[in-house]
Amino acid sequence: MKRNVPVETCDVAVIGAGPAGLAAALGARRAGAGKVLLLERDRTLGGILNQCVHDGFGLFLYKETISGPEYAERLAEDVAREPIAVETGAMVLDLTPKRVLRVNSRAGYRLVRAGAVVLAMGCRERTREMIEIPGTRPAGVLTAGSAQNLVNLQNLRVGNEAVILGSGDIGLIMARRLVFEGIAVKGVFEILPWAGGLERNVRQCLTDFGIPLELRSTVVEIRGRDRVESVVVARVDEAMAPVAGTERIVPCDTLLLSVGLIPENELSKRAGVELSPLTGGAVVDERLMTSVPGVFSCGNVLHIHDVADWASFEGSAAGENAARYAAGERAAGASVRVSAGPSVKYALPQRLTSGRDGAELSFRVARPLRDVRMEVRGNTSGKVYARKKYARLLPSELQKIKVKDAVAEDLEVGCHE
Amino acid sequence: MSERPLVDRLTCVLCPVGCELEVRGEAGGEPEVAGNQCDKGVPFAVEEVLRPMRNLATSVPVKGPAGRMVSVRLSGPVPRELLFPILAEIAKLRPEAPVRRGQVLVANVLGTGVDVVATRTIS
Amino acid sequence: MMTGREAMQDHHPGVYDVAVIGGGVVGCAVLRELARYDLRLLLLEREADLAEGVTKGNSGVIHAGFNVPVRSLKARTNVAGLGIIYPLASTLGVPHRKTGKLVVALADEDRPRLEELKAQGDRSGVPGLEIVDEAAIRRLEPLARGRWALWSPHTGIISPYEFTYALAECAAQNGAEVRLETPVAAVSFRGGLFRLATPKGEFEARRVVNCAGLFADEVARLAGIDDYRVFPYRGEYLITDKDCGFRLAMPVYPVPPRDDPGLGIHITPTLEGHVILGPSAEPVGDKRDLASTREVMARLKAEAVRLMPGLAGVGFIHSYTGLRPKLVDPSGRGRFEDFICEESERRPGWISLVGIESPGLTAAPALAEMVVAMIGARMDLELKPDFRPERPVHRRFAAMADDKRAEAVAADADWGETVCRCEHVTRAEVVAALRNPFGARTLDTVKRRTRCGMGRCQGGFCGPRLVEILQDEGVPVDRVTKRGGGSRLFYGRIKG
Repeated sequence: MKRNVPVETCDVAVIGAGPAGLAAALGARRAGAGKVLLLERDRTLGGILNQCVHDGFGLFLYKETISGPEYAERLAEDVAREPIAVETGAMVLDLTPKRVLRVNSRAGYRLVRAGAVVLAMGCRERTREMIEIPGTRPAGVLTAGSAQNLVNLQNLRVGNEAVILGSGDIGLIMARRLVFEGIAVKGVFEILPWAGGLERNVRQCLTDFGIPLELRSTVVEIRGRDRVESVVVARVDEAMAPVAGTERIVPCDTLLLSVGLIPENELSKRAGVELSPLTGGAVVDERLMTSVPGVFSCGNVLHIHDVADWASFEGSAAGENAARYAAGERAAGASVRVSAGPSVKYALPQRLTSGRDGAELSFRVARPLRDVRMEVRGNTSGKVYARKKYARLLPSELQKIKVKDAVAEDLEVGCHE
Repeated sequence: MSERPLVDRLTCVLCPVGCELEVRGEAGGEPEVAGNQCDKGVPFAVEEVLRPMRNLATSVPVKGPAGRMVSVRLSGPVPRELLFPILAEIAKLRPEAPVRRGQVLVANVLGTGVDVVATRTIS
Repeated sequence: MMTGREAMQDHHPGVYDVAVIGGGVVGCAVLRELARYDLRLLLLEREADLAEGVTKGNSGVIHAGFNVPVRSLKARTNVAGLGIIYPLASTLGVPHRKTGKLVVALADEDRPRLEELKAQGDRSGVPGLEIVDEAAIRRLEPLARGRWALWSPHTGIISPYEFTYALAECAAQNGAEVRLETPVAAVSFRGGLFRLATPKGEFEARRVVNCAGLFADEVARLAGIDDYRVFPYRGEYLITDKDCGFRLAMPVYPVPPRDDPGLGIHITPTLEGHVILGPSAEPVGDKRDLASTREVMARLKAEAVRLMPGLAGVGFIHSYTGLRPKLVDPSGRGRFEDFICEESERRPGWISLVGIESPGLTAAPALAEMVVAMIGARMDLELKPDFRPERPVHRRFAAMADDKRAEAVAADADWGETVCRCEHVTRAEVVAALRNPFGARTLDTVKRRTRCGMGRCQGGFCGPRLVEILQDEGVPVDRVTKRGGGSRLFYGRIKG
């Protein structure tokens, strides 16, 4: 570390002020942290919430359904009532395993030493390149979230005729937003046999406006030299490979991609945090602490949430636990592993401190299921620690299951029909 | 099973069970709902078919520096067929800063009894 | 005797001594080399930025010169260029690295091909070539495998477009003019002058250097020189994330396949730590056909994994495609055609550089010296005493140490505004890129100069921010383009 670089200390540093980070800062205060620093790279608090002008937020946190900007402002007002040091336009460029942050902002470049760190950086969208769509590279190919920013916050007409690839919630919501602003949507194409987003969104964003949703189909080529002129769509087979002979040209000037979100863990990697290949986020214990002591994770950087409120609840818990860590509290006991069993995409937390009573596990299924029994089983004893019946489970909905007893063996969350 | 023509097929979104509902009926008659596992499914499906209610959200430019937008929504749902007429009303708005979150930008829009409200504070 | 410049200014105000057509690496190298002399210089580029043609779509390798036949112009300018390019890149402040390179033979029977390459290179004067065994391969590049390899210690990597911008910025700093979006549409002659008609007006020049890459044949034809035919060969590439867990130290090539018009699909590191796979080599009918294909993307991965099994399953953040300007027609695969760098007998004063494919990036500075010698043979060239060989300094925030970062932000808060979160590019860098001396103002202008949008989010986050900064810098919304021309991003405002 060089001289001439300002160094600051704090008890808890929260990186990111979206639904998770704002709640984490509040949680840290609630649990008694003295100096809480909340760092947001954007110019306003709330993160991506500010561009999510649609409603559907807050049902669990505020018991009413409000829009993203309202949800953000209400949380930000709660933060403003607390002595929390809030800094917008502050980008954390680096995080060391010893919890030193390199922070860049117009106010200055500095180092921050934190007693505990809460990671709440959110996620980014998968791109055209990641899913390797062949063809030309014209203007007019953009992710649904970028389009959301440009349309909702910058008043920019991103195109006249759009095709949407992927039926994630942002894609569905953007289909409706485009139609509202006079931009035609020629169709939504989804490679899977089911829609990625919530059913309510399929109905209210597509069906309402007669926008076709074509399942088991994808964009196999982008055409147009300067600007998108058309896309070629095709059906896919069971292995998701395009079926020759089913190609169809759809003229359009815009291709919006809603093909998945990726937890943005670049800082976590720099700090040496162990990541899960199943979630793309950190491996955490029941306190939401990562493999690096004193570094906690919550919200979309931990795993992709379907509801902002859950990200806030998770943030709140991570903030509280971070405050306790900063105050010197340490967990006692070895840890056991929690793994994903049959039909389960992932389960959280991936570690539990053994001997502690009661734990709430979250899980997400890998495919839509009906009339199933979910069980949490001990890997050694075969004992069933929790069992719950579900009439229906969807990959788009995160579920929770409670374990009452203390656990001293590795667990598996699985579906048993 | 009714032999009346199928009007709509929808998934109930009132609870996590997600019943697959089928609505049958003829013009003017009371629709018939099948597939519901509880009583709440019937009024849900009937309203969805006969008189679907929707909220809407968009954003409008604030007078002053170009590009600044204030997001808006309706204070409650309106009949779906009024979405575009209301959007046309909203498109005319050019509120002046400052705008408060919750501020009514259009009261009782198109006589619906519902207001257009700002969802963001612009200082 | 008057210098060329004085002669021209006496009689024809507004006349350029030399006009270069084409702002790729060759054209810009020629421009900078000419900028040493007291000449009035002009470069005309059809695209909205420099380096947009052949230059941007290659592997970014500084070649040592063993792949091309002894005594060919390719070999001579490659080996000469190798001697120039490293110090030149240092002078210009262009990041580069002498990495060395391995050409690996996976089987014993391929060893004779390596021997042939080595002998060819030795005879051309390529320094330091060695045949090495398995153990040495592992030592040099632990990710590579093979029975034998040709080790070339002087091969390196550089960003072709950064090098090109630097050459042009240096030339501009020394008085050369660069005009973008100015395609030459017609050429006429009057009083010993070439008149170049463009949509932005006519330009008169005593000498013309045609460096138009893929279009060099068509540009020559405008001047009545119907001697060339350029065939576009498409090469597709894939690029990994920096974080792919794959730290490649040097380019690794296969033994050049005999039936391949290129050097075979190879694996190349970038200075930032990405890994590039490619290129394919396929003749295409259209000089602007830069599409990627599903088949080739699959083949690139298969070939690369064959060469380097550790690449299996690695994710990619970007793909790109280049076009080689070849003189070999598609039916004559494998035949050797040399670079052309000659003055027209029919049109004295008109110099054409045609077929400048690989190793054109390395050879460019040597070709530029050749061009200057050709011009100097028939015109007195006077060195400018105040020639500045470097270019204006470009600082990169991501590469600064902590204290330098703190200083930079304290001096100018724009350094504190991080625009690109993947590559850590600040507003100061973006604004500097947009104020380049050529007036290039596209999104790709910023991307290639600052790396903003080149990271894993591919502009998902910084794209909307860049749009705001472009407007702050005076580019109206309807003029915001990806790369000029019809590549507009927006159709106005939604609500006026």
